[in-house]
Amino acid sequence: MPSLAVMASKKEVPQELSTAPFDPRFPNQNQTRYCWQSYVDYHRCRKLKGEDYAPCDYFRKCYESLCPFAWVEKWDTQREENRFPGKI
Amino acid sequence: MTTWSCMNLQDSASPIMEQLIFFHDHTMMIITMILAMVLYFMASTIINELVDRYMLEGQTMELMWTIVPAVILLFITTPSLRLLYLMDEIHNPIMTIKTIGHQWYWSYEYSDFVNVEFDSYMTPYEGDNKSMFRLLETDNHVTLPMHSFIRIIVTAADVLHSWTIPSLGIKADATPGRLNQSSFMINRPGLLYGQCSEICGANHSFMPIVIESVSTENFIEWIKKLSE
Amino acid sequence: MTNHMNHTFHMVNQSPWPLIGAMGAMITLTGTIKWFHQYEQTLMSIGMITMIMTTIQWWRDITREGTYQGLHTSKVTKGLRWGMILFITSEVFFFVSFFWAFFHSSLSPTNELGSMWPPTGIQVFNPLQIPLLNTAILLSSGVTITWAHHSILENNYNQGLQGLFMTVILGLYFTALQAYEYMESPFTIADSVYGATFFVATGFHGLHVIIGTTFLITCLMRHLTLHFSSNHHMGFEAAAWYWHFVDVVWLFLYISIYWWGS
Repeated sequence: MPSLAVMASKKEVPQELSTAPFDPRFPNQNQTRYCWQSYVDYHRCRKLKGEDYAPCDYFRKCYESLCPFAWVEKWDTQREENRFPGKI
Repeated sequence: MTTWSCMNLQDSASPIMEQLIFFHDHTMMIITMILAMVLYFMASTIINELVDRYMLEGQTMELMWTIVPAVILLFITTPSLRLLYLMDEIHNPIMTIKTIGHQWYWSYEYSDFVNVEFDSYMTPYEGDNKSMFRLLETDNHVTLPMHSFIRIIVTAADVLHSWTIPSLGIKADATPGRLNQSSFMINRPGLLYGQCSEICGANHSFMPIVIESVSTENFIEWIKKLSE
Repeated sequence: MTNHMNHTFHMVNQSPWPLIGAMGAMITLTGTIKWFHQYEQTLMSIGMITMIMTTIQWWRDITREGTYQGLHTSKVTKGLRWGMILFITSEVFFFVSFFWAFFHSSLSPTNELGSMWPPTGIQVFNPLQIPLLNTAILLSSGVTITWAHHSILENNYNQGLQGLFMTVILGLYFTALQAYEYMESPFTIADSVYGATFFVATGFHGLHVIIGTTFLITCLMRHLTLHFSSNHHMGFEAAAWYWHFVDVVWLFLYISIYWWGS
């Protein structure tokens, strides 16, 4: 991920800023699918590799950066109630 | 923002807007030359009293007035397309912000490091306050670090809106259920103003956008305070 | 009025039907809105009856003008022919809009649908069951109506009658099967954009089948009263074109919505 080192003086300040990188699967202005796919991939990854598998966090980082909070909350509720439309 | 007697584009605050202004001036020069030429042709045909009754065709002239406009158009399309693709490009964004249009305010989300969200409502105009602009100020500014590439995700919660900052050369439609991406780099500190640019209902004119461009250190301080 | 004119055009007489038909349409529209808001169907029914009565009597008048008064000269028939061609063309574009909606929604399904087509939770019809039978029925009806047409062209009254009769029966059979399938459907028009595009597209096709069948029944009755000659049967030709159009629309519906879309 691209990053920018930040001259940080206080302890809790993040040492670098980073966000979801450009993904060639989603080259257009419409990034809806990038957000959705990252969300699905994260939960698929955790289902396959277990909850503590660190590389899955890449997908979480992506969907957290891109998806509006309201969307994620809605999808979380749908998953809890077993009515999420995507295949996880 | 535009102040009194500002008849042209606003001063740019990003490299893309700089290029857009250059393109505007370039195209303006071409249209001025065409206008002058056409006016001259019209004037000379009206004033001219000589008539050639035997002139039925002018192949060379027709060829010229076909090829010359084509070449002129090429000189407009080439820089135009270059800019279009340049604006579409995402050059390794440092951070992503999300903006969501509501009836009638914008809300913003920062979620790359800490999760921060806030609403940005217009502050009512105080007539005697000389330091504020009418219908352009908001209670919460979108604070952003300058000199860094920022991706913005634009969407809406209810109806169509449009997120616009003229001095950054950005205008992106906010559509419910869809995430539109745009990006920019602010090259100077200051306050940048914009307004909703898609008719969205009764208070469409009263949901302005204010960006506060600061240094990266100040930005970190600001977001740290917000997340506490 | 006399039938002796210096031209071949049909100067129509004054008729109440355009005005009454327009009022019927307006009453139907108002009545439908009233039904939606007040669950009360009287006004809509009055409008519908007015419209049905108008169409019956209007086309009865046209039949009289064409068949008994001889006002449909070859030039007039040419105009009617063009009118029917343009009408069917406009109907084609009507269906193009439904296919547009279908392909727009199915080629890039939104995440609310689970990013797939058919959407998550939609149980689709098996295209190889009733829909395939319906395809066979409509294709066969295309054969029988061509049989009827050739029989009329060759002055073969009986086979013309049989061909028309078979076509009408196949049309009714199709409608019955579609009604049965609709009743058995595991999804409704309110079930996502799948239900919406499915029922609007197939529903309007079904409506056109019913209209086409009515048109063919009219032709059948006119044939029974010897209205068609081997060189003048414009009404039948219009019905046949319309029927072929309905047939072709079904093929596209079957291939894209039932088959590819499942």
